[in-house]
Amino acid sequence: MSDVEPHDFDPHALDQGVFLDQVHSFEFWFRAVEGYLSERPYGHHADTYDRDRTEQQLDGLVTTLCNYCVAETTALEGASGMIAFAPNRNAKIFLATQVVDEARHLEVFIHRLQELGVGDPEAEIERRANADLVTFKERFLQLVEVGDWDAAVLAQNVILETMEYTVFRAHANRADPITAEILEGVISDERRHFGFGENDLGRRLAAAPQERQRLGEVKRELDGLVLRSLESTLADVGIAKSDQPALGRDYLNTVERLGLVS
Amino acid sequence: MSDFLNAYSIQRWLELAPQGYLEDTVYGHQADEQEPELLLEHENLREDAIRTTVQLVVGERCALAASSGLVNAAPDFPSKRFLATQTLDEARHVEIFTQRLHDLGVKGEDLESTIDHFANPNLVKFAEVLLEKVDAGDFVAGVVGQNIVLEGMAFSVFELLEAGSRQTNPKFAHTLSGTIADERRHVGFGENRIGSLIKQYPEKTPEIEKMQKEMTYYMLATFADAFEAGADNMDEGRELAVEAAAAQGVELEATEWHGTELGDASTEDLEAVLADTVLGEFKTRLGRIGLEYQSPSIPV
Repeated sequence: MSDVEPHDFDPHALDQGVFLDQVHSFEFWFRAVEGYLSERPYGHHADTYDRDRTEQQLDGLVTTLCNYCVAETTALEGASGMIAFAPNRNAKIFLATQVVDEARHLEVFIHRLQELGVGDPEAEIERRANADLVTFKERFLQLVEVGDWDAAVLAQNVILETMEYTVFRAHANRADPITAEILEGVISDERRHFGFGENDLGRRLAAAPQERQRLGEVKRELDGLVLRSLESTLADVGIAKSDQPALGRDYLNTVERLGLVS
Repeated sequence: MSDFLNAYSIQRWLELAPQGYLEDTVYGHQADEQEPELLLEHENLREDAIRTTVQLVVGERCALAASSGLVNAAPDFPSKRFLATQTLDEARHVEIFTQRLHDLGVKGEDLESTIDHFANPNLVKFAEVLLEKVDAGDFVAGVVGQNIVLEGMAFSVFELLEAGSRQTNPKFAHTLSGTIADERRHVGFGENRIGSLIKQYPEKTPEIEKMQKEMTYYMLATFADAFEAGADNMDEGRELAVEAAAAQGVELEATEWHGTELGDASTEDLEAVLADTVLGEFKTRLGRIGLEYQSPSIPV
């Protein structure tokens, strides 16, 4: 049984052996998620009330949720593909927990779209998908296809997860109660996912600093796509343009903790 | 299609597994359960238990690679979603059987060498046949290989091991009962989803049947090796289990599995009943999805 409480999770404080044995396990995952999943079918309590909204606000929310689905599908396909070339059993098990997290996020966002009256969510997602996010997905899945572990962890567990974390937190602060409740659960998962990314990649870069330059190039290539899709999504959420640079900096600061400066 | 796939949602999975039959378990069993002392005290029995558990780890690693590899190949979101739950189920199985190896005394640094040493080469070949289809992104063949053949085999093997351990090793029996519940779901998905795809792509049938035939050959060869390897110690294990139970004032009850009394059957009888059961399941399940079971040659 894991000794580390998931809610007190600080991956940087752990010895590597403890980190691998305890955190990358089904046991740890289940203890981390059971708190916010119980009594929240499809991510929110049945009696949480919705808020009235204008047509324009509804349209913005639907576009936002559709792009969350694009991001979650990217993560689902990426995490599942990475299991095949993960460097050890613990990483494989962690990624398996991430696969089900991402599928769960996709499920709750699709369910939310249906609650908002979207009859064919899959078609709507395709129609409203942000072009930069779709390009990011294609580029990331190429890294998975060739089995480039370090670059795939950077793209998914650092860049994509950090971007999602930044957007979801900003959105949760101003969202209707149901969407906010869904996002809170998703944010808890994202924290675990990028904790894994930072820890795994941080240790590998410390052991092989020459990788920093190559990954820096991958990051520079993806940054533009991430920042443009971030800007577009934040606009759909209704965040003022003046607040957007600060959120973009949040994302860049997190990535820079790995020493991958733009 | 979508109605049946709704039964395989993450929501339903959460309610059934982590919040259902796995609740309050630790690595699949009750927190206070341990491996029996007699297993840990007798080196030959401990080695047999390690050998058996290694085959479970090898099979589950294959299932983890297959289910995760099929997520991207799945043609629709509901199938991806189901395969995501199966991916985590299989990862949990890898974890709990690996934990059993540790409970049997295998040290962390010796884990991979122990698995390499005891892994049955025929089981490794069995896995390779399936993973070749998965790597090629062949969803239909991959799901038949994974959810009908591999899961069908695992289901019966787990049932046999669970029945044989219920009285003598409740920890292992409880670990297995959770995996049996998982495998039942996986087999159900395979039958439901693939039936419609086989009808849609009938040209794939010969290739899938060839895969099934090859996998069945390696499965039967694995069974033959496994029962031969365990033959020497089986009687001693049974006697010690009876003595250990008697020392606690308990008399072991007869346990029948598919008409065979597990307490006094020979290894040949056990191998025969397992093979007959699995092949019977294959025939039934393949028939349900419109495929005809292909008999392999008999392994030497």
